[in-house]
Amino acid sequence: MQIQVKCSCGAEKCPEWAIIELQGVVEVQPSFQHSLQNLQIGLLCRPSSQENYTFTVGYHELTGYKVALKKPMVVLKKIKYMDVERQIDEATSSSSCVELDVVGFIRHKILFKTRPTTLISGPQPTVKEKINAEGA
Amino acid sequence: MMEQPHSCCKGAEVLLNLQPTSSVSIQYHPFFGPHDDLVLLELDEKLLSDVLYQRVTLRGQPDEDAVLCTKSKTYSVKFVGTSNSVFLIPPADCSTSHESGGENYKQQVATASVIKVAPGNMELVEVAPRLDKLKSILSENLYSSDEASTAMGDLYKWDDLINKVQASDDELKAGLQALSAVEIDGYWRIVDEKYMDVILRMLLHNSVLNDWLLDSLVEDKVVSVLESDGFPRKLVYHCLNVYGSSVEEEAMGGGVWRLDARRVCVHFARGVLREGKRKMESFMEEWLRMIPEEMQPSFDMLEGEVLTEKIGVETWVRALSVSSLPTTPAERFSILFKERAKWEWKDLEPYIRDLNVPGLSSEALLLKYTRRSQPSIDAEPVFSAR
Repeated sequence: MQIQVKCSCGAEKCPEWAIIELQGVVEVQPSFQHSLQNLQIGLLCRPSSQENYTFTVGYHELTGYKVALKKPMVVLKKIKYMDVERQIDEATSSSSCVELDVVGFIRHKILFKTRPTTLISGPQPTVKEKINAEGA
Repeated sequence: MMEQPHSCCKGAEVLLNLQPTSSVSIQYHPFFGPHDDLVLLELDEKLLSDVLYQRVTLRGQPDEDAVLCTKSKTYSVKFVGTSNSVFLIPPADCSTSHESGGENYKQQVATASVIKVAPGNMELVEVAPRLDKLKSILSENLYSSDEASTAMGDLYKWDDLINKVQASDDELKAGLQALSAVEIDGYWRIVDEKYMDVILRMLLHNSVLNDWLLDSLVEDKVVSVLESDGFPRKLVYHCLNVYGSSVEEEAMGGGVWRLDARRVCVHFARGVLREGKRKMESFMEEWLRMIPEEMQPSFDMLEGEVLTEKIGVETWVRALSVSSLPTTPAERFSILFKERAKWEWKDLEPYIRDLNVPGLSSEALLLKYTRRSQPSIDAEPVFSAR
């Protein structure tokens, strides 16, 4: 079986995606669990001309930096489709086909790996950051 | 990007191009979800263009671990999880944004939306092509002299082999070459050794009859004579390829071939030992009898093809061809140590010379799969199973 890896947007037009990586887990308040869409997680700021960033999630402020990935990544989308013709010709084999489509590439991530500082005052968070027990 | 008046204020772009003293609101995407169909794959820089320009495929049967193949290499695909939260942010589709119109774009808050939290990513490890399967499927139906019209069972065309064998195109071609496979009527076949023997002996017989020189056989002459003897053209060419090398291309009369002494001698040695082991004297006598006069056989030619063992005062010879052994190191060493518990390096080397494990030198292979011992300082080191 051979699965073609395609890039339907074209190599030159393949867009760059981004990653924000935290050592921790973001928790959503129970009442908002089922309506995450468009919910703000936090505010990411770049205070100076350096590639340092702060990320404020609920009562926590994380500091981090942009880093180039050691190895680039591609974002693949699995596409399953039914091949009607195959279904008729090959009675024994599966009639669904899988393709992989490269929908983007990633070269950088904004990484937060230090312990967050707690902000004394701030709005009631609908989303808060929970420190990973094993992390940092 | 940010100089354009209609620049994007959403998605990955705004995050990657965030200016000093600016901020961006990170939100859950309207379509946030598990998106199991979105997968991250980490690659070496040199593979990136192969992937973007659609020069890679995934190969394997549903019950096998998938491998990723470029034109010439094979990589196993492994998932590596992470305990971190990896927020994946796609580029925004800028053409449909700016609901409030162009004038107000400056007041819009920059946002970047997270489509998924990735549990980890796939990574690639270069591996040797999995060619043992190629050999076993082509051995199901050896091409033999009584090949009437169609053989029974499965026959494989190139595209069938691509579907079944986890190897890149170049590695598959090399594998077919190593098996001395030949394409007949679009199907890749391994020719039965006994049939090859018949063709080779007929070629040698005709060489004597017609005073052909074995190191300058004229292709057209050889093919036409053997064809009139009833052998298919394709098989005659194949015989020249298997036992000889092309010397030069003549303008007229096609190519010129030179028979390779080692390959011919190995062929006949295997024939002598086909029924089982033989005493050295008996083996040598019969073997020498079969070799063409012009060729000088020497026992060294048989390294990687035969094993000698002392039973009592007698030395016996038996066939063990490296080409019959598995290509994966663990299995190769396992069989070698079953054949013989202890090996000296000079005997072992021909049987592991062809092992290919990307990233592992032969010293590393020995370290990993064998136990090295040395009875005394003067003695040769000996390798045995771990």
